[in-house]
Amino acid sequence: MFARLLSVEFMKLRRKGVFALAVIGPLGVVLLQAVNYGLRYDYLTRLYASDPWGGLLGQVSSLAVSALFIGLALIASMSAGVEHTAGGWKQLLALPLTRVRVFAAKSATTLLLLLGSCTLLLVLTLAMGLLLGFEAGEIPMAKLLATVYLPYIAAMPFVALQIGLSLTFGNQAVPMTVGTLGLVVSMFAVFLPDWVPYGWPGQTLEAAGRWRAVAGGAVGGLLLLAAGCGWFVRRDVS
Amino acid sequence: MDNNRRERSAGDSGWLLETTGLTKRLGGKTVVADVGLRVGEGDIYGFLGPNGAGKTTTIRMLLGLAKPTRGHIKVFGRSLAKERLEILRQVGSLVEYPSYYGHLTGLENLEIIRRLLDAPKARIYEALATVRLEKDAGRAVRGYSLGMKQRLGIAAALLGHPRLLVLDEPTNGLDPAGIQEIRELIKSLPAQRGVTILLSSHLLSEVELMATRVGIIAAGKLVYQDDIARLKQRTAGRIRLSLSEPELARQRLLSRGYDALPDERGITVPAGDDRMIAAAVADLVRESHQIYRVEEQRSSLESVFLEITGTGGSL
Repeated sequence: MFARLLSVEFMKLRRKGVFALAVIGPLGVVLLQAVNYGLRYDYLTRLYASDPWGGLLGQVSSLAVSALFIGLALIASMSAGVEHTAGGWKQLLALPLTRVRVFAAKSATTLLLLLGSCTLLLVLTLAMGLLLGFEAGEIPMAKLLATVYLPYIAAMPFVALQIGLSLTFGNQAVPMTVGTLGLVVSMFAVFLPDWVPYGWPGQTLEAAGRWRAVAGGAVGGLLLLAAGCGWFVRRDVS
Repeated sequence: MDNNRRERSAGDSGWLLETTGLTKRLGGKTVVADVGLRVGEGDIYGFLGPNGAGKTTTIRMLLGLAKPTRGHIKVFGRSLAKERLEILRQVGSLVEYPSYYGHLTGLENLEIIRRLLDAPKARIYEALATVRLEKDAGRAVRGYSLGMKQRLGIAAALLGHPRLLVLDEPTNGLDPAGIQEIRELIKSLPAQRGVTILLSSHLLSEVELMATRVGIIAAGKLVYQDDIARLKQRTAGRIRLSLSEPELARQRLLSRGYDALPDERGITVPAGDDRMIAAAVADLVRESHQIYRVEEQRSSLESVFLEITGTGGSL
């Protein structure tokens, strides 16, 4: 049943440009790094001579976290938006489906699309490293996986927040404003105390405090999703 | 009539859909107050009321989209609060304006509903044929006319082969041809599909042409509920005669025991049986009056509606 619900969610997003967006995000990050390396190849390879892969991952991750912040807001908004514009809530929720399942399907759609983007980032980063002539045998797999997936987990509270806002407000300008502000705040998160969630995705890239950020993100994300679900189940549909 | 209905209807109380004391408060204002709807199996139930009377709010509660502040809803003899999913499996709905994904085709829109209902694929073509949208099924719904969107909404509501179809203002915003088309479609459904229909509207003239039973809601309260035939009986029907020398004719009819009243275009007499009218006309012709028109006064149903809802003005 849930698989059917999920397939329907993906069907609704056809021709909405969401899938293109999920590709453009990581592609953009890697292409910008391609430009970076193209312009400053000698400088960067000399700078990271001892650890070329680590250098590349560091460069990629700095952009990827920002892309993640704006990407999660956009995807959550588009996935909820198809229902708002069509007046689709009343039709969807008058079907024999539990509200929890509907909420879960909407959330899973956003989470899966973001996960897809992260995975694509991994593949593209690998491809770029190999194109730059880095040693295939020296690929730091653990670090690569951590760079790609840990910020995703630490950003979970924001995914939950954006899903909740996008489902609640018919006017998607509200969640998009919050999402954009989140991006801005996250860029200056190094100046904020460590406990501020906006810094967590970035903190997963540093050895110190990495696991605290991941745990905080996972737990905070689940709690917020549960709260959002509780609200979604009870609310009246207009 | 009601006894008959009870025998062939669902549930222990005999009604297919029954609400008791249904109340909804929104922001401190009571929008729906103590409404007791009774819909029998096979009915086309016309749920009437002026705009803002609480029709849509009631319908939202019937579909589980909004929670009643107080009161119970029983559909197919089951409690909606306890068995929502079981009930909704057998209910098709179209609330207020059609819901659709404009960027998808008509076919894709129906496929979404079909998958969620886990209905066989053939239902899509069956529903498209019922609403005659086969030709346009491959186009994006964005480009549909309102009437086509409305028909697509009805097709979506029919996909699950519902026992109860809830249509909120299905002809709202349509042009006369579209209204006619939807009306014919709705009228054909009970015979074709054995479905019971709850239909809301703010136009009595609209419902009168389709409904077998009516409920009238005004300011959140159900002020009238009965078979449409009874509502029509309540209309004190009169026959208007346009003729030459109306005052003289009136005196003549009065002297023969007819309750003739003056009217701006002639005289009116109570609508009795046909023979009585024929006799009166024959009398007048014999007395050399020229009869221009004999017509039934049809505005009376509207005036009863206005009287019941207490709106007086436009609806």
